[in-house]
Formats: sequence, C-alpha cells, structure tokens
Amino acid sequence: MANLKLDRVGKTYAGGVSAVENASFEIADGEFIVLVGPSGCGKSTMLRMIAGLEEITDGDVQIGDRSVNGVEPGDRNIAMVFQNYALYPHMTVRGNMAYGLRNQGMPKPEVEARIAEAARFLQLEPYLDRKPSALSGGQRQRVAMGRAIVREPSVFLFDEPLSNLDAKLRTQLRAELKDLHKRLGATFIYVTHDQIEAMSLADRIVIMSAGRIEQIGTPMELYANPASTFVAEFIGAPPMNVLPVTGEAARAFLAQEARVPDDLGHVGIRPELMSIGDNGIPATITLVEPLGAETLVHLKMGADKLIMRSGHGLALDAGAEIKVAVEAGALRFFDRDGRTRSA
Amino acid sequence: MQKRVVFRNRWLPYLLVAPQIAVTLIFFIWPAYQALETSFFVEDVFGFSRNFVWFENFTRLFADKGYLRSFWTTLVFGLSVTFLSMSMALALAVAANRVLKAATAYRTFLIWPYAVAPALAGVLWYFMMNPSLGILAYMLEGTFGVDWNHYVNGNQALLLVIIAAAWKQISYNFLFFLAGLQSIPKSLIEAAAIDGASPTRRFWTIVFPLLSPTTFFLLVVNLVYAFFDTFAIIHATTNGGPADATSILVYKVYSTGFVGQDYGSSAAQSVILMVLVIAMTVVQFRFIERKVQY
Ligand SMILES: Nc1ncnc2c1ncn2[C@@H]1O[C@H](COP(=O)(O)OP(=O)(O)O)[C@@H](O)[C@H]1O
Ligand SMILES: [Mg+2]
Repeated sequence: MANLKLDRVGKTYAGGVSAVENASFEIADGEFIVLVGPSGCGKSTMLRMIAGLEEITDGDVQIGDRSVNGVEPGDRNIAMVFQNYALYPHMTVRGNMAYGLRNQGMPKPEVEARIAEAARFLQLEPYLDRKPSALSGGQRQRVAMGRAIVREPSVFLFDEPLSNLDAKLRTQLRAELKDLHKRLGATFIYVTHDQIEAMSLADRIVIMSAGRIEQIGTPMELYANPASTFVAEFIGAPPMNVLPVTGEAARAFLAQEARVPDDLGHVGIRPELMSIGDNGIPATITLVEPLGAETLVHLKMGADKLIMRSGHGLALDAGAEIKVAVEAGALRFFDRDGRTRSA
Repeated sequence: MQKRVVFRNRWLPYLLVAPQIAVTLIFFIWPAYQALETSFFVEDVFGFSRNFVWFENFTRLFADKGYLRSFWTTLVFGLSVTFLSMSMALALAVAANRVLKAATAYRTFLIWPYAVAPALAGVLWYFMMNPSLGILAYMLEGTFGVDWNHYVNGNQALLLVIIAAAWKQISYNFLFFLAGLQSIPKSLIEAAAIDGASPTRRFWTIVFPLLSPTTFFLLVVNLVYAFFDTFAIIHATTNGGPADATSILVYKVYSTGFVGQDYGSSAAQSVILMVLVIAMTVVQFRFIERKVQY
C-alpha cells in the first residue's frame, strides 16, 4: 500500500511539446483518483510518468515516500491496465497473468494459486488456456485486470480501460471496478476523458486542461463549485450554462441577486437549479428533449441560449413563452479569465 | 463485390498476357524442359552423338564423392549465411528501432549492400581479403596474427564466401526485421517492463516470439538465396576453389557443364536443384499461408 506525491512535475517531449506543466498533488493510500480532461490534455503522459514509462523533465514523483525518478517501471510496485489491453498475443490467459510473477522468480505453486484466485474473482476460469485473440473485448479487459491484480501492487494505474467497450459493458465494468477497489484497498489512479466515469468512480477528481491541473476535489465539490468555466462546462451532462455578463440572460439573473462581485466575465447556472415559475425571467422554449425520468428544455433568453432540466411530464412545446425561476444561491461567478469569483 | 473488366474483343485479353507467357515459356519452361531432357542423355566429347541412358547421370552423381561433398558444402554454406545475415540484421534492426528518429541515415547506409550487384559484392570482398594486397587480410595478419590465404586454405575460402554472401543479404533482412519490429505495439513492451522484465528478457519473451512470422519468412528466403542465388559471388571471389572447397551445388552445375563439358551430368544436377527449389517453395507457401499461430 502506498501514498503518492507529485511535486511540480513537468514533461516536455523531445519535439518540444510541453504535455504537462507544474503538476502537484498528493494521493492518500487507498484512494481512488481519477484524472479527467479532454483528449490531448496530458492525462496519459501524467500516468505514464507515474508508471516510469516516460521520463520526467521537471519535478519529483514519490511513491510511498520514496522518490522514484530513475526507478524502473518493474521496480515501482505498480501495475497498469492499458486502453488497448496490451495483452501478450502469443501467450494464453494463464501465461499473461503468470508473466509478471515469473519475472519476480515466484515459485510455481504460488503463481498458480494467485492465478486461480484472480480467475475466480474475475470469472475467467473457463478461458485460462485461451489466447487473447479468442476472447471478446470485455473478457480481454478482465484479463488485463487479472494481470494487474495477481501482482498485488500497491498502486493500480488505468489508462482509459473502458473506452473500447460498448456502453452497456462499460457501465457494468465500472461497477465492478469500484467493487474491486473496495476489496483490494489499493491506491487507484484512473485516466478517462469521460466525466461520467470520473464522477461515478472517483474519491477525488483531478481535472486537467492543456497540460495544467484545473481543479482537484471530490466529484460533488467540482460539480457544485467549479474553479473555472472550463470545469463548469466539462463536468455534468448537460453542462453548466455559462453566460457572458454582457448578455441579456446574465443581466436578468444578476438583477435578482443581492450580492454580485465586481469584474465579472461570466455567470454560471446548473440546468437543474432553474424551474418554470409564475414569475421570473421570461424565456422562449426552442426545443424539448424528453429523456424519460427528466426532460431537457432548451431555452432562449434574448440572444442567449441555455438548457434547463425539468421533471417528466412537461406539457409544453417549442415556441411556448415561460417564466424561469432560479433557486437561491444557484449562480456561480467567473471573472474575465474564466476563474471563479466569490460574492 | 468484385470489379471485373469485361473485354469486348475476344483476343485482347490473350494478347495482353502473351508477353508474360512468352517470357515464362522461353526463359523458364523451355530451358527447364531442355535440362530435364538432357539429363537422360550422355553426349560424346565432340557433341556429334548422344545416347539415351535412363537415370545413369543421376546414379553416377550420387556415387560421386565430390558431388556428395558439394551437398555438404552447400548445407554448411547455406545455414551459415542464413544464420549470420539474419542475426546481424536483427541486431541492427533492434538498434535502429530504438533510435528511429535518427535512423534515416542509418537505414540508408544499411540498404546500400542490397543495391550492389552480386558480382561486385564478390569482387569487393575479393579485394579486401586478397592475401597480398587486401586491407582486411592485412589487418587480420597485423592484429590477430591470422595468416589469411583463401587461395590455399579451403576453410578460409568458405568463410570468405559465407561472409560476402551474408553481408549482401543483411540489408534485405534488416528491412523486414525493422518493419516487423515496428508492427509490434509499443504498449506490449511497456506492459512487459511494468511486469518487471529486463530488456533482454523482454526481447526473448515478447519481441522475438512476435517476430516469428517475419523470421520464418526470412529463413526460407535466405536459404533459397544462399543455395541458388550466390553463384555470382562465389564465381567472382573464389571460383569454387580451392579444390572445390566453395563449390556449392549451383556452382557445380556451372563447372561440370561449362568447364567440364559434361552436359548430361550438369543437366541432371540442375534437375536435382529444380526439385529442391520446388520443395522449398512449397514449404514456404504452406507455412506462410498458415502464418505462425497466435
Ligand atoms: N511521445 C510523444 N512525443 C511527443 N508528443 C507527445 C507524445 N505523447 C504525447 N504527446 C503530446 O502530448 C500531449 C498530451 O498527450 P497525452 O498525455 O497522450 O494526452 P491524453 O492522454 O490526455 O489524451 C499531446 O499534445 C500529445 O500530442
Ligand atoms: Mg490518453
């Protein structure tokens, strides 16, 4: 078991691409951390630096209070699950799981015992003697997981392990992963570009943009109090409505607010914190999306567009004129650079 | 769906393939038939008459110690060339793969030998290893005290043609190995590194097994090359000598026929070679089709 510490870590690739800049955070032992952000923001690079697959160009990485710069990946007591699984195609499932253990020189009976246990846990027993090419995507994913588990590492690293699977399987494996984390009690660091995965899995989320950390916090902290417009628009589906203060919508919202900070750039509001009321801000419905349990209502306030989340059974159609009421304390304020400002 | 060209004219398609068929008939089928026919005859020294002798040419060959020795020489030569050129090429490809960005120049240099004509390659090595004026022979003598003279020493002569033939083939093998290495996903190597395998162990347990389709293909190609395609190198370097020490089967066909003027025996030898090459081609297609199982 181990805690991790990243201290002002940076990575500039040989071509001069700066993939990660000045990243600092600490991970407690046994925590489930999710690195999330759009494609190309440096998540994989960060994970690979922790794994030792990529050399660090700045700063320091510590695993279990030991600086691991220059330590071989095999000596860091970590395991990694790759997006494309990276199973050894010429070995059976059993061979894939045994490989890391044999490299450690573990005696055969113990290797067998560990494989048997992992196979039982992951329901891989019928497939132990198959080659990866004879497995489905979900099964391959489990083998990759098994290969990590048998080594009993103190840190598990996952690089978008579910993104090659279909939506249904993804939901199922997501739940299994969370369960796995609880049973093993090890530190998990999980990379994804999918904010739903991040929200549902993480103890804490590290959200990145263009090589920088935007915010670190629990899923609910990020959801309720995004540190920037970037976070506000990345987390949540549909995302927070972020409106320029110069627009009609923002002005109408602000008019109802008692205390407003100066130098505002944007005003944000979550779709579920608005409702149709008897009095409030006038708006026109442009589109209604019934999703079953809820309905997404697209609105127009002057030139501004926003989305409101409403319960099921909304009896209105596009073109209807309504009044929008806002819950108290629902507004979020951002300055001109998109950073959050408190009232 | 298949796209098919439909010819209006009945004769046009035949006309279009005619040149290829003509080339095959004139330069392959016809000589092969001639060789097959000649191998059943014995001709007198002046070429005035010839007698049909059934399989006498073949039985004589297999009773001939010199011919059997040539089989052995060919085997030693073929296996050595194949092993030497493939292992060198693999080592170079692994090195190139590691530093691929800087590898363009490196790759170009490595491809050069393949562009050199076999006879030129032979002459090149002939000069470098020439006992009286060759630079390599001089260095061998000076550094290791080896008295190099492949005109006298049969083993040295064989070694010389092996090196020359292998050198020529390295580029070809290198290109295939490099392509093979680049088609191995990097994440497999990384997974193995995380699994605690040392670089050497990674190579032998992951990279080498995954290269096996390439290796097998090259094995057959190199053996065929060494057995049949090295005539020019040997001819330019050692002339099959000294005392037939470098006379592989292909060279023997030439020396028996054109130097010894024994056309029947020479033809019989080439028929044997033909059978050999057909067998190797069959092996190659059989196994390459099936690829290596994973
Ligand atoms: N080996 C590399 N060499 C040069 N640039 C790279 C390399 N790997 C990634 N990058 C660049 O670094 C940035 C971050 O990449 P990556 O960490 O893979 O992003 P993510 O995983 O968040 O999609 C991207 O701009 C990418 O093009
Ligand atoms: Mg990535």
